[in-house]
This record gives sequence, structure tokens and C-alpha cells, in this order.
Amino acid sequence: MIQADKLSRLYGEKYAVRDLSFHVRRGEVMGLLGPNGAGKSTTMKMLTCFLPPSSGTASMDGIDIQQDLEVRRQVGYLPEHAPSYSDLNVHGHLSFMGRMYGIPEATLNDKIREMSVACGLEGRLNQRIDELSKGYRQRVGLAASMLHNPDCLILDEPTTGLDPNQMVEIRQLIRHLGEKKTVLLSSHVLSEVDAVCDRMMIIDGGELRALGTRDELIARSSSGLRLDVCMRGDADAVVAAICKQYEGCEVDMHTVEESEVTKLIFRHSDDSIALAESVFSAVVAVGGVLLEMHAQETSLEDVFHRLTGRAL
Amino acid sequence: MSSAWFQIISLCRKEWRVVMDTPLGYVMAIAFLIVCGFFFESNLFLIGQADMRGWFSILSLLLMFFIPAMAMRMLADEKRSGTFELLATMPITTMSIVWGKYLALWVQVVVLLALTLLYPLTLSWLGNLDVGQVLASYFAAVLLASSYAAVCLYASAITRYEVVAYVLGFVMLLLVFLLSKAMPTFSPAVQDWLVLLSPLAHYQSMLRGLIRLSDVMFFIAMSGLFLSLTWFELERRRWR
Repeated sequence: MIQADKLSRLYGEKYAVRDLSFHVRRGEVMGLLGPNGAGKSTTMKMLTCFLPPSSGTASMDGIDIQQDLEVRRQVGYLPEHAPSYSDLNVHGHLSFMGRMYGIPEATLNDKIREMSVACGLEGRLNQRIDELSKGYRQRVGLAASMLHNPDCLILDEPTTGLDPNQMVEIRQLIRHLGEKKTVLLSSHVLSEVDAVCDRMMIIDGGELRALGTRDELIARSSSGLRLDVCMRGDADAVVAAICKQYEGCEVDMHTVEESEVTKLIFRHSDDSIALAESVFSAVVAVGGVLLEMHAQETSLEDVFHRLTGRAL
Repeated sequence: MSSAWFQIISLCRKEWRVVMDTPLGYVMAIAFLIVCGFFFESNLFLIGQADMRGWFSILSLLLMFFIPAMAMRMLADEKRSGTFELLATMPITTMSIVWGKYLALWVQVVVLLALTLLYPLTLSWLGNLDVGQVLASYFAAVLLASSYAAVCLYASAITRYEVVAYVLGFVMLLLVFLLSKAMPTFSPAVQDWLVLLSPLAHYQSMLRGLIRLSDVMFFIAMSGLFLSLTWFELERRRWR
């Protein structure tokens, strides 16, 4: 379990992370989202004991991060850009990592073989790392971080540089690992966090903006109803009828002259109103034809945008 | 073996593997042997004596060029490529990292010096060689090289760029050399201090075949000082 309590880190006078509190349970994958410079990597650096916090505490499976050597033994860390010793071959790099984490020589080769299979590195073990593609280097980094079978995994953008097929494979692997281990991963890809993580937190300016499951975050930041309509006929009359029925309703209207099709976007702050039914009735009443109508759901992108004021 | 020592040896082995798997080590060894061989031959034929004192004096100068080249990538490359973050988040202390790197560098330097044993062997075959004096000189060369290695490791710790690390290491060693050469221009009181603090003065003293504890302690202290500075430089990130 990862537990952070009011974790802060100052760079000079400026807070990179401020009063960050959260916990990640065993068997859970937590996503860490935030725009560039939000403090994601600094948070991970503190949890892996690369940087000490300026204030606050954190623990890994009950071990305080002040006891840095003990914590490091429990943690598998994939830093951003998956650095590795490019002058070595894959086997040499993994052997070195294994020895540093105290894996006995007798089982080291078996562990390397096991991890190379899990990360799709079979057949690449004797290849020099500087000859590998970015995707394979990422896999080497992942394999190295999991080699000593850590209880906690901290992965800084684990799928950067992977092709779509590799992304799916690595996500499945993380998902699988997350069933038994505690996983904290940061990502710029919202769909990835959505697909892999049980819970997620959004940080911006070093501060926690939101924490919860996908549905909780969406429910919390939902700001009303949006209905996209496509119709043929007297759109002005429909808009007038709807605006009369629902005070405060906002409408965007765009007519394509050649096809006489009008696209309408209705927005209302109250998502409990029966806007779709009213629009349908209004179109029928003016003798128009309803070509398309769907309610837009609040997406994770919308939540992120609202909380950070920025898109990813 | 304790886990810290096992990690130091593992780090040292990794460095060796990089040296052996890349042309770097071979190029360095060949260049060193060519240059050393040139000066050895010149001395041998000019003086016509089975004596290596002149060669050992030049060796101190040659080490100023070669040790920064061997040390430059040790930590600078780790910082530039991001592997330092990997290394620093392993269950190893910063001091063990410094020891592992230093040991790897030290072994490389000692191997280079060992390759030159061919010269005294040749001399002993040609004439009467003072074996004791040569052995003492090699011991002095190892101590001098050890302190130079510590200086250059520190230079590699304070930058991300290998070339900058080389220049910094070379300049620091050059300063030591120039101060030793400029010694006669200082007042006697300053000269006394400079003799005490100059690695070259201690080295020259040992080349006479006399191994004094004060000389040995000086080199150990100098290495210790720069290894501590290296540790401080690597730990500094935590206090910023």
C-alpha cells in the first residue's frame, strides 16, 4: 500500500508539490494525471526516495520513505523515458539490475527469462539496448522495474513511445500486475488511465484537484446537459419553443445551405430536464424532420479540462 | 560478502562490461601504450641505462591526459542519459555508488599501468635493473593515479557532459602540475606548504625508492577528500 500524507516539495521558493495526500491500496492501479509541470514526476521521485519531501510523509507497505533503502527494495520504478544502459545488451542490463536488487545468481537467469516473456523481449536478450526501438527500450525498463518482484510499482508514463498494439499488451500486463500489487502510474493518455486504472487523481500546480473512480470524477464535475441535434425544417421555431420552455437554455445553430440541414447544440445547467423529448415534440410540431439527436456525456477530457483549465 | 559490497562489485562489473563491450577501453589502452612506449624507448636509447626514473616522471604527466578520459563518462553519462535516477533509486547508498564507480576506474587505471610492466621486464633482460626502486615507483604511480582518478570522478559528478567532465578533470590536474612547477617562485614558507600539499612532490619523493607513510597517507587523504566531494555532489540534489 502506498500512503502519502501532506507531501510537499519545494524547489527554491516554489512548490512543485504541495500538501498531496492520497493512498493506493494493494491490488489497485492508481492513475496520476496532470498537465506538464503539474508535479507528477516530482511526486514519483519522492515516493521512490530519489528526492526527499520538504514536508509531509509517505510510506510504502508501512515503511516510511525516510528508511530509503528498505523502501527502494519494495518498489519497482520506471522513470520517465525509461532510461537504461544503452552500451549493454538487454541481458546485461537486466542482470545488473537484478544483482543490485539482491536477486541470487542461481535464480537470476530464470527471473530474466520470466520477465522477458512477460514484456515480449524473448529473442532480444542479446541485442544491445542502443540498437532497440523506443518501444522495446520501454519494455526493457518495465522488465527491469518488475524483475525483483516488488510489492509496489511506480511507473512514470509507461507506454510512451509504444505502438498501439504494444500499448494494449503493456496495459494488459499492468492490469494483470495490479491484481496483486500496488501500482501508481502517471500518463498523459486519458484513455490509458481510463482503461487501466481503478482510481485516478488529477493534480495541477502541485496540488490535488480531484481523486476518485472515473464515474465519481465525472459525476463530481458534470456541469449540466448537452444535446446535439441535426434536423431539416424550421429550426428557428424549434429554438424559440425550447428557449421559451426552458429558461437559461443556450443554443448554437449552424445551417448547411445546400442540404437545408441545421445542426443545433442545446446546453442547460440542469441535467434532470427532459430536453430530448421536448426537442422531438418541437420538431414534429413545426413539421420538420429529425435526422439525428444524441446527448453528449461528460468525458474524462472534459473533467480534466475543467479541473486544470488546460487540455492534455 | 555484505550486500553493500556485493552491489559495489556489481556496479564495478557493469562498468567493466561497458569498457570491454565498447571500443573505448581498447582505444585507451592502445593509445596509452603507444605514448608510454615512445617515451620509454626515447629514454632508453638516449641515456643508455637500465633506468626508469625519467619514464616515471613523464608518466605523471601522461596520467593527466589519460585519467580524465577514462573518468569522464563515469557519472556525467549517467546523469545525461537519465540512468542516474535508476541507479539512485536502487537499494544502494550514494557512498556505495561512489565506491563502485571509483573501484571500476581504479581497476582500469591499474590494468593500464600493469600493461607497462613489459618495459621493466625488458630492461631487466637488457641490464641490471634496481627492482626495489622500480617496484616502489610503480607503487607511487598507483597511488598518484588513484588520487587523480578521485579528482576526475569528482569532475564527472559535477556535470552532465562528458567533454566538460574531461576538461574540468584535466584543468584540475593541470593546476596541481603548474603549482608544483611554479614552486620555486614562491617564498620559502609557501614552498613548504606547497611541498606538503603537492601530489607531484610526494610522487617524486617516492620515485627515489623510499616509501614513507606520510607520502602514502597523503595520497589516501587526497583520494578520500575528492571521493567525499563526489558523494556531496551526488547528494546535493536532495537538498536543493
